[in-house]
Amino acid sequence: MLRANAITRRFGRTLALDAVDFEALPGEIHALVGENGAGKTTLMNVLAGSLAADHGEAVLDGRRLQSGSPRAALAAGIAAVHQSPMLFERMTWEENLALGGFDTGAGALDLDAVAARARSLAAKLGFEMPPAGATVENRSVAERVRLEVLRALSFNPRVLILDEPTSVLAPSELAAFLDLLRSLRADGRIVVMITHKLAEAIAVADRITVLRRGRVVARTTPADTSEAQLAGLMIGEIVTQPAASAAPPPSGAPVLLIENLTLDDRTGRRILDRLSFRVAAGEIVGIAGVDGNGQTELVEVLAGVRRPSSGKVTLHGGSSGAMAVIPQNRDLDGLILDMRLWENLILARPLREQVTSHGWLNVSRAIDLCRQLIDRFRIRAPGPETLAGALSGGNRQRLEVARAIASRPRVIVAHNICRGLDLAATADVHRAILDFASAPSGGAAVLISSDLDELLAICGRLLIISRGKIRETSPGQRDPERLGLLMAGARD
Amino acid sequence: MLSSIAKPFAALALAAALISIVLAALGASPIGVFAALGEGAFGSWYACADTIVKSTPLVFTGLAVSLAFSGALWNIGADGQLTIGAIAAGAIGPHLGNFPHAIAIAIILAAGALGGAVWGAVAGWLRARRDVNEVISTIMLNFVAVQALSWVVHGPLMEPSRAYPTSSPIARAAQLEFYFAPSRINLGMILAVALAAACYLLLFRTGAGFELRAMGRNRRAATFFAIRIPALTLWVMALSGALAGLGGAVQISAISHRLYEKLSPGWGFEAIAVALVARLNPLGIIPAAILFGALDNGSQAMQRTQGVSPELVQVIQGLVILIILAFDTPAWSGLRENIFGAPHDAAAAAPLAEMPDA
Amino acid sequence: MLEAFLTSAITMATPILLAALGELLVEESGVINIGIEGAMLAGAFVALAIAYFSGSTALGLAGAIAAGVAINAIFATLVVNLAVNQVVTGTAVSILALGLTGVFYRKLFGVTGKAFMVAPIAKIPLGALARIPLLGPVLFDHNGLVYFTFILVPTLWYVIARTRYGLRLRACGERPEAADALGLGVIAIRWQALIVSGALTGLAGAFLTLAYANTFVENISAGRGFVALSVVIVGRWNSWGLAAASVLFGAAMALQFGLQALGTVVPYQLFLALPYALTLVVLAGFGGQAAAPSALGEPYRRP
Repeated sequence: MLRANAITRRFGRTLALDAVDFEALPGEIHALVGENGAGKTTLMNVLAGSLAADHGEAVLDGRRLQSGSPRAALAAGIAAVHQSPMLFERMTWEENLALGGFDTGAGALDLDAVAARARSLAAKLGFEMPPAGATVENRSVAERVRLEVLRALSFNPRVLILDEPTSVLAPSELAAFLDLLRSLRADGRIVVMITHKLAEAIAVADRITVLRRGRVVARTTPADTSEAQLAGLMIGEIVTQPAASAAPPPSGAPVLLIENLTLDDRTGRRILDRLSFRVAAGEIVGIAGVDGNGQTELVEVLAGVRRPSSGKVTLHGGSSGAMAVIPQNRDLDGLILDMRLWENLILARPLREQVTSHGWLNVSRAIDLCRQLIDRFRIRAPGPETLAGALSGGNRQRLEVARAIASRPRVIVAHNICRGLDLAATADVHRAILDFASAPSGGAAVLISSDLDELLAICGRLLIISRGKIRETSPGQRDPERLGLLMAGARD
Repeated sequence: MLSSIAKPFAALALAAALISIVLAALGASPIGVFAALGEGAFGSWYACADTIVKSTPLVFTGLAVSLAFSGALWNIGADGQLTIGAIAAGAIGPHLGNFPHAIAIAIILAAGALGGAVWGAVAGWLRARRDVNEVISTIMLNFVAVQALSWVVHGPLMEPSRAYPTSSPIARAAQLEFYFAPSRINLGMILAVALAAACYLLLFRTGAGFELRAMGRNRRAATFFAIRIPALTLWVMALSGALAGLGGAVQISAISHRLYEKLSPGWGFEAIAVALVARLNPLGIIPAAILFGALDNGSQAMQRTQGVSPELVQVIQGLVILIILAFDTPAWSGLRENIFGAPHDAAAAAPLAEMPDA
Repeated sequence: MLEAFLTSAITMATPILLAALGELLVEESGVINIGIEGAMLAGAFVALAIAYFSGSTALGLAGAIAAGVAINAIFATLVVNLAVNQVVTGTAVSILALGLTGVFYRKLFGVTGKAFMVAPIAKIPLGALARIPLLGPVLFDHNGLVYFTFILVPTLWYVIARTRYGLRLRACGERPEAADALGLGVIAIRWQALIVSGALTGLAGAFLTLAYANTFVENISAGRGFVALSVVIVGRWNSWGLAAASVLFGAAMALQFGLQALGTVVPYQLFLALPYALTLVVLAGFGGQAAAPSALGEPYRRP
């Protein structure tokens, strides 16, 4: 039995976990649910040893776990599959697995033996392995998840903790994955699944624990609860999500025209394949796709970070300053955490030009502008001079959206705009985008996301991106299962 | 604000303590050495004046380094850039005899700036277009510059009698004169202070300076905002080199009046310590440069009266840099929080009050 | 003539290669050590001082190892434990070592500049191999340090590419967070790499004073540590590549003497500048960081 007793952990002034008690039994799948920011990942990191708890302890089968030591956790039999990638890209998959438990540790390093052991376990699980000697960097996202799961299983762990494992899977791969969890349970292991997707939790879990703002607010079973009830427990307040109006999309001259955009990487692999689509004023277009099908590169091309091999991007009615991009990696690419809020604001060239005359920067004007936007977009921050790094994830995203909208672009392109945000921030961001698109000035938005539900709620038109190609969907086509298959690359 | 002044002071205090240990190992008296340093730097009116003179090249190179470092461009080549600037000044200087004084000065200084700019631009280009680590390229260029200097004073620029390895003296018109004789105070320091103010304005009050700082903090994010990294890299390195080269020209014009080998006693490296003590703030460069200039000035007295060789100053420089870096780490601010409590000012808070949860 | 040149090339290449191999270990673990120049200088000075006063070359070598390790330990404390900027720290360490060696050199050996000579490390000609025409004297008639360096090249290649330890080392340089999550211990591994590198670099410095110049002059390393950094880049982080690049630079340095002896019209400064200029040219052609370990140079701290 895995038990966490009164685990407490602080980051700076934020209390991430507040005396959390948690318990999971062998032969069960235990779902840990909560919205983003509730503390689920922190709890996992404490159990897996990568984070030390400030107070409290974890106990496995009656034995106390050493805090803050991944090695001790692995030795005790706890393995974790993290949400962010933990594979070594430039190494081969055999080497990656050898760093797990497939290497006996005795004698010379034998990668062939490692591969053989991996393959046999994979066969039992119904996994396909990459070709021999392949490096991880070219593998698909689904393959990487499988490799990480394999590596975790290679330690033959008593406890397997998975953090949002299904967020990068296509809907069609979901069923197989849930079956995998069931077979692990049948082995007598403890399986802890961290997720914010309530349908999946109810489908596969034996017990469910709900976290909210670092505290356990409920412990229940699928039989005794429902998605709606869980959602209520998770957020503890009513948050209305805005929805797109049912009005038909406005027709008109395209604001953004992408023609035959093609991108090959330095090894010659085709990442974007004659991508074409158009966006009209007032539209919110969704591009749905499983991570790793070219979305990141498309965003980089549109932001001007990468030059396409061929193809054309045309913005009507303005220069490139008329497109605002909100990249997926907001902390690394969208913001400079060491700089103040007003400085982050003027990173956007149009805003910078507003407060600059003849090259001279008017700092007080920039600070005023920042103050106005803080008010207008309900960013919870002490003031314009605050460092961006001091803001919570939700508020950082509100800042980025504020910056994008304030720079008065013709198009906003956003990549996984609400990933990792709590529901209140998600609602605010969606509302801002909807307001932007319906404004008389005729702005348009392109939302690239792997979250089909989000796109179905907000977007007027839906495109699917798969293997670097774009396909339109027919206007009435809103069936998630069907769309999920298209996302996974099925032919129509 | 207070903490940004307190840190360098604490660092210097710790450096002084460590130096004392080194001195004890050498069999010298720490008190005697520090007294000699102080005496040599500030003991008389002439000493003070000479401290200012010795600080001047450090302002130029310190500005060069802090500007580049602000853009995360690790310019270790200020020495070489200063040298090439000096060569340019020393080459054109002898031929300026027929120009009016002000024009001659302008020309010789411009030559120095141009020479340094070119030398900096080489490293900038290599980084921008060939992805060559500028630490290595600027260090290599330092060595090449040293040989270039050696060559010109033994060869094409050698003084006519060919008796000594120096260049011909620059024309009187091109020499920055001394004020308050017998001191060697000249306009060079005034120019340096003016440039420090200009650099401050550039860095914190212009769009270009903002882009430079953004690139320095987060290069990748800067690319997402259409900040053109290659072009920025090139002109920052050129500007940095120009500042250092200007320092070289000022040295030639005001002090040495001719070229000779080993022109720079390591001002380019000392500039790194200066820049860090100033926390990369151009205005802070001035007091920081005076501090290290005082050390340089006092080190001669130290050698004379205490028998400790001037290389000790390099030990001090190295220790100061290391201590300041150590003090700047989050580990230290974590310790400080434990002792003094968390800071009230959100703006001064250590980054990431955020949990890693998505 | 050719033989002398090639032998000289190998001799000049050795300290560079030795230091570069140490740096290779460090960079594979994700750290870039500009302080390598300081470690080499410290090794050079300590080796000479101890060998001179004790009369024992072996003690001198041991002292050099200790000096290199000590310098790298200062660097490691700041960079690995405190996660400080690696470039500035390394530069400061090199400045510090330059100052310390200068100060103590003056103290111990006076200001007179009299050359304090020590006996060079004995050469060990390898019997029949040394008698092969041309290749013999060039490759098989050197002192023990040179042979040690020869052996180190394939050894390090094997360790890094084929052993368990090498795998862990590379994992630290590729993605330290992931390595720590697997319990590999990034901090410990980076320390180990820096200590081994300190020993090797110290030995490289000892080579300069005990085998090459047989005395110490200020800043005797003259940038060789920095050249070693370029060698790692040009050699694409591969032991064999490092060896090739080192020989290239060694040849450039050997060229100085060969051509000076010819007494050409070309100024001697050109030859002195040649290795450094050559480094620049080669880096311009092959200096991309694309083959570098992914996390190289990034400060890493456990949350």
